[in-house]
Amino acid sequence: MAAAETNNMTTLQVKRFKPSENPTNTYLTDEKGVWAWMTTVDHKKIGLMYLASVAFFFAFAGFLAIALRTELWEPATNFIDADTYNKYFTLHGAMMVFFVLIPSIPAALGNFVLPMQLGAKDVAFPRLNLASFYIYVIGAIFTFISLAYNGFDTGWTFYTPYSSTGSTGVIWVTLGVFILGFSSILTGTNFITTIHKLRAPGITWDKLPLNIWALYATSIIQVLATPVLAITILLLAMENIMDIGIFDPAKGGDPVLYQHFFWFYSHPAVYIMIVPGFGIISEVISTFSKKTVFGYWAIALSSLAIAFIGFLVWGHHMFTSGQSAVATTVFSFLTFLVGIPTGIKIFNWIATLYKGSIDMKTPMLYVFIFLFLFSIGGFTGIMLGALSVDIHLHDTYYVVAHFHYVMMGGTLIALLAGLHYWWPKMTGKMYNETQGKIAAILVFIGFNMTFLPQFIMGAQGMPRRYYNYIDQFQPFHQTSTIGSYILGVAFLLILYYLVMSLIKGEQAPSNPWKSRALEWQSTSPPDFHNFAHTPVVINGPYDYHKPMEEFQLGLAVEHNGHGEHHEVETEETEKA
Amino acid sequence: MSEHNHEHHVATAKQLWLIGGALFVLTILTVVVSSIPIPAPFDIITALVIAFGKAYLVAAFFMGLYWDVKFNSMLLIGALVFFILMVTVTLLDTMYRQDVVPSF
Amino acid sequence: MANHSASHPAHVQHHFVDSDQQFESAKMGMWVFLVNEILFFGGLFCAYIVFRAWYPDLFSQAALELNKVWGGVNTVVLIGSSLTVAMAIRSAQKNQIRGLRINLLITIALACVFMVIKYFEYEHKLHLGIAPGMFWNPTPEVLAELSHPKANIFFGIYYMMTGVHGLHVLVGIGLMIWLYIRAGKGHFNSEYYTPVEITGLYWHLVDLIWIFLFPLLYLIE
Repeated sequence: MAAAETNNMTTLQVKRFKPSENPTNTYLTDEKGVWAWMTTVDHKKIGLMYLASVAFFFAFAGFLAIALRTELWEPATNFIDADTYNKYFTLHGAMMVFFVLIPSIPAALGNFVLPMQLGAKDVAFPRLNLASFYIYVIGAIFTFISLAYNGFDTGWTFYTPYSSTGSTGVIWVTLGVFILGFSSILTGTNFITTIHKLRAPGITWDKLPLNIWALYATSIIQVLATPVLAITILLLAMENIMDIGIFDPAKGGDPVLYQHFFWFYSHPAVYIMIVPGFGIISEVISTFSKKTVFGYWAIALSSLAIAFIGFLVWGHHMFTSGQSAVATTVFSFLTFLVGIPTGIKIFNWIATLYKGSIDMKTPMLYVFIFLFLFSIGGFTGIMLGALSVDIHLHDTYYVVAHFHYVMMGGTLIALLAGLHYWWPKMTGKMYNETQGKIAAILVFIGFNMTFLPQFIMGAQGMPRRYYNYIDQFQPFHQTSTIGSYILGVAFLLILYYLVMSLIKGEQAPSNPWKSRALEWQSTSPPDFHNFAHTPVVINGPYDYHKPMEEFQLGLAVEHNGHGEHHEVETEETEKA
Repeated sequence: MSEHNHEHHVATAKQLWLIGGALFVLTILTVVVSSIPIPAPFDIITALVIAFGKAYLVAAFFMGLYWDVKFNSMLLIGALVFFILMVTVTLLDTMYRQDVVPSF
Repeated sequence: MANHSASHPAHVQHHFVDSDQQFESAKMGMWVFLVNEILFFGGLFCAYIVFRAWYPDLFSQAALELNKVWGGVNTVVLIGSSLTVAMAIRSAQKNQIRGLRINLLITIALACVFMVIKYFEYEHKLHLGIAPGMFWNPTPEVLAELSHPKANIFFGIYYMMTGVHGLHVLVGIGLMIWLYIRAGKGHFNSEYYTPVEITGLYWHLVDLIWIFLFPLLYLIE
């Protein structure tokens, strides 16, 4: 081993820390009681609290979806009236987007995993992290207050002038979303700083797990886009409270300007939802193929490319809104560009699978479901980006199906993959593998039954958000409704076996999937400080050709315990 | 990771007063210039040039970007780039519409 | 990463290796937050630019209702407060706690002067009926000068921009009082003055925004 030749190489004394298989002292045993949980600044507990909240809102909004599908079983009134129907689909959309999809992966799983993958003890600003959770809760409370004021039926996009007529329900929910935005901003700020400043020795930018790259790209979008939503929503609230006039045509304002503002946030926001999903897929695919990720830099940088291009395409939501022809053409062209980095990712994942030792565990099953569903969602997105096609398909069920294929078939399936992948680490318990696979297959069947017919009836002209329909569409609607019931059953099954695993699941080994990633080199569940030592990283997170010992190194100076001492050289992590 | 324990830059009082003075002068200048009739696009350009000059002084010296790590400057420039993107792409619509505000 | 439990100074949180890492993290976090702030105001500036490009004559007409002199005085006041904040940070870096407190006090005072002037400007306009949104009810004399049918939109934007900026000034005053109290308790020294530094960054941004608001709102005619 040559001595440090360049001045950015340092020599560290390290030794191996083999994680205990039966930890007695974990983050779950360290602080106990409700109060300790509510005031904790531990990123792992905050992640779990987010996970529980996200699950609650998912169940709530999912229940609304089931009600909507049941209402659509036959044309005209079935069991809820038209106004209630409008409120239900608005609430379903707003909750799923703002309370489930946006915080789901970054704030719940990301909070738990990000510091561990960096070998840090916590995120850079732990108290802000807790604050962001409570801001999320306050945002939710505002939304429920809005329900008490007769709710809101504007659709989740709150388009003016319909949303600017001074309804009290709309004021409360817009304030709720305004507050919620700060939760997202704080999480993004925290993650960017943590990734830059708190990496363990040896973790250089080319040794960052792809999940971290994805969360980094996500955080950049959160930081750049969310403030625009905040000001938009604030202006909308002012429009409602005192007719400020900027967006309201009756006062001389421009409603299309509202749509620009709204989509400047909300288009990048769909990448806030999907890009962290890409990160999970990269992690899971490598672990269960026991193989180095193919095209590390291609996957890492395509996340950043998506983040950037994602800011330039928002106008494709507005092709029929009266936007100028020049803008429409430019937006359509730019929309096609987003397909390129996404395609790069898909091909690199497939190449990673090639000649790997593929282990079809539940998380990997979800990865395959993701690849199938997300590809369909992506391709239909390209169709919708084509101007002439969009004029026909705009505001039909085709758009609804596309959106659900990318958001549910993409983000939510990736979330399920990540949840099953990290569940043993988070809880220290194994779930029932057979039931997990059955549920995954049920999700796949139910999902396609629900949304595939919607592509067909959308292409045939069934408009979205309609309460009533002509008889021709009834078979499609009924298939879709049955599919949604199957989905409901599948999610109940998932809930059942996950809860059962907590009650009487067997103790999880520290590294059940034999992964090389850093978060798996801790105990299950992890220590309060994530690692009892300061981890040192000398290999990339996907170097499956190297022995496991090389992934369990830590600084030797803190403890004078036993074990052989090594000397390793690491590139000094950048300290900007 | 923390080998170089670098000192924080401390600006001298003289530097700070100089910057403050320059900002003061530029403020007077922009008010004076605004009362001179300059033809249409150039009046706003002059005002913005002066404003950006003042902004540079504040960001570089009061906020210490001049002595700071480059990444923080990148953040500021990045924010401006995305703001400009937002404005130009929005103008691409609003400036090329048939009617200024589409009638309903 | 050195020994992280034994030699920790009291102000360093457990998950940081040393004081330097904590300071640099806090500063970077603040800069990321300022990116947020810039895009938050960016939305308002975008609305301003769009409407100005549509109705240039409205903007030059409406600017006549704004008092250039008081706007200019307020600009000077804010620049002065930026200078004193920079001096406060310098005092902290040099361990001069008395200087830190005096500079913070001057900053608070200047910020209050800004708000008082802003109050009288608003007062005057509201008196003339130049009020935001549904309170828009200009007196006949004002209407004679301000005949543009979209004048309410300009003042909608004006009140939103200056109002949101004013809220930031109020938050800044609160933060500065908090710093003043903590400085009195001896929390800061040349080794640890992170809150002073990042509040300073925030305050300079509030100044930066005003540097653009002033010519764009007051000096167009």
